[in-house]
Amino acid sequence: MRDDLRLLYLLIVYDIRKIMRYKVFILMRVAWFSVQVGFFAYLISHIVGQRFGGELTYYHFYLLGAYTSILFTVSMFRGYETAQEFEEGLIEYMLSLPIKRKILAIGRILGGSIASFILTLPMMLIVLFLLGAFDLFSILLAMASAMIFSIGIVSLSISLVFLIKSGDATDITFGILDSLLVRLSTVFYPAIILLSFIPYYYVSSVNPLSYLADFLRWIFYPQELSKYLINNPMNLAFFIIGFATSMLVLATIFIEKKIEGGGWK
Amino acid sequence: MSSGRDVAISIRNFVKRFGDIVAVRGLNLDIYDREIFGLLGPNGSGKSTTMLTIATVYRPTEGDIYVYGKSVSRESDEVRKYVGIAFQEPKAMWIDKPIEILTWHARVIGYSMSDARRVVREVMEMLDLWEQRNKMFSELSGGTRKKVEVAKVLIQRPRVAIFDEPTAQLDVIAKHIVWKAIKELSREGSTVIVATNEMYEAEALSERIGIIYKGELKGLGTPAELKDKIPGGDIIEIHIEGSLDPLTKQMLAEKLGAYKIDHNNGLIRIYVDKGEEKITPAIEMLSNKVKIKMISMKEPSLDDVFMFFTGARLGE
Ligand SMILES: Nc1ncnc2c1ncn2[C@@H]1O[C@H](COP(=O)(O)OP(=O)(O)O)[C@@H](O)[C@H]1O
Ligand SMILES: [Mg+2]
Repeated sequence: MRDDLRLLYLLIVYDIRKIMRYKVFILMRVAWFSVQVGFFAYLISHIVGQRFGGELTYYHFYLLGAYTSILFTVSMFRGYETAQEFEEGLIEYMLSLPIKRKILAIGRILGGSIASFILTLPMMLIVLFLLGAFDLFSILLAMASAMIFSIGIVSLSISLVFLIKSGDATDITFGILDSLLVRLSTVFYPAIILLSFIPYYYVSSVNPLSYLADFLRWIFYPQELSKYLINNPMNLAFFIIGFATSMLVLATIFIEKKIEGGGWK
Repeated sequence: MSSGRDVAISIRNFVKRFGDIVAVRGLNLDIYDREIFGLLGPNGSGKSTTMLTIATVYRPTEGDIYVYGKSVSRESDEVRKYVGIAFQEPKAMWIDKPIEILTWHARVIGYSMSDARRVVREVMEMLDLWEQRNKMFSELSGGTRKKVEVAKVLIQRPRVAIFDEPTAQLDVIAKHIVWKAIKELSREGSTVIVATNEMYEAEALSERIGIIYKGELKGLGTPAELKDKIPGGDIIEIHIEGSLDPLTKQMLAEKLGAYKIDHNNGLIRIYVDKGEEKITPAIEMLSNKVKIKMISMKEPSLDDVFMFFTGARLGE
């Protein structure tokens, strides 16, 4: 057991080491995100002019959505890459190491999630700074929920790659999901507004992105934003945890099947 | 003579298919505890497939392999604790550095951070890799990459150490350094399996050699035993133009009392006793059927052993 935890830790270290090699890429992403939230988002919220009670504007609402959206995109991509690694090359090395298959599977998923979280940490800090949100407990809670959400998305992404199999179909599916899931959610539009388009509202209410975005909003603005959220805070939290757990189990099964069930050579 | 030794790895009716391709067809082989075993065969004969299955990376299609009594199909978690493998194609992230690749490896194997640092440095210095520790893997030469791959197993010191063509792409000096390290590993108690397609590597390293060809084991024994298995003390080689018809071949065999005659690509190889007495009758018989270009006679080398068992040349 202790040994398994040590190996899990090392598998996560492996993924972190990997992303740390892309410093320039990360910097560019962070720079672009800064421009997006510091300039364009500011413009948009002026145009929208919506007020959410008190001092809150659409800008505050938007920022946490923007973070959710980038965490989603990065997690999907890391999951995709992790799944690709099970197809060729390095996976043979990993399969030869004294690591139980289940630990290897979970380690790769957690590694992908933590890497995604770290990659988007600067974005989260920028958002918190712009919001002026400096309460330590809130920040920790936000980080924890982002982390759990990322586990769910990375797992979802890995499962999809293994489920679809064909490379072209996978690329198309990922492209569609990336643009659709962000829009069919409360990431950029409050639930209240979505209510005037019922089908839209229903999709949003089962979309994990809505749950993270709204949960983050609740963390920082429990009073002001509570009536704009898609569900009550308890359900938001449960949904995120439930989503992450079930996806993690599913992806673990998929990976184990892949490497032991004859799917792997 | 070796039959009293403990068996480390027992390969039983091992078959491996990839779709329609049969990579290994019913292999039976015992590898003894603490020996250096050379698996010799040309490209595509099933060496890597066998090695990867011992390392639990692939699963047998049929049959099974036991590593210290544990089945690779049913107890792979156990088997992996015993086995370390240096892959034929070095495995590492292109953007990674040798020092980090190896330190991470050492940590996974179970070294503490400080031990990992020390052992990695020792092995890197031994293999002449230390200078290159901070280069990117993608910038390394093929030979250096190979050495990094070999270093993993030397760091690990597993009970079963597998090297898949460990010195391909290395220069002569580097080859000798790696061979020395492999022998050292064996002296310290590891059972070593080396796959190679180079005769002199098999001979330089192995106590026993298994000749594998087209997925089948064709010969097995120490280098001396293998040479002894060639019947007759001599080989007459005759290069001809055109081809030899089966009838002539049979008459030739009877007349010379040959144990075996191989014939391909214009080369006839006749395995006989007292070769010097057989050359003239051979020429007499052949000269009115084919055009003889060259004739020579020699004692069998391991290359001839390979040819005898497979009917093919190693390079083919
Ligand atoms: N992963 C694989 N998928 C399909 N065919 C393979 C695979 N690995 C090996 N083969 C085939 O199996 C045969 C044996 O290959 P291999 O074990 O690599 O031989 P060697 O190591 O002796 O060169 C070859 O015909 C090769 O093309
Ligand atoms: Mg090979």
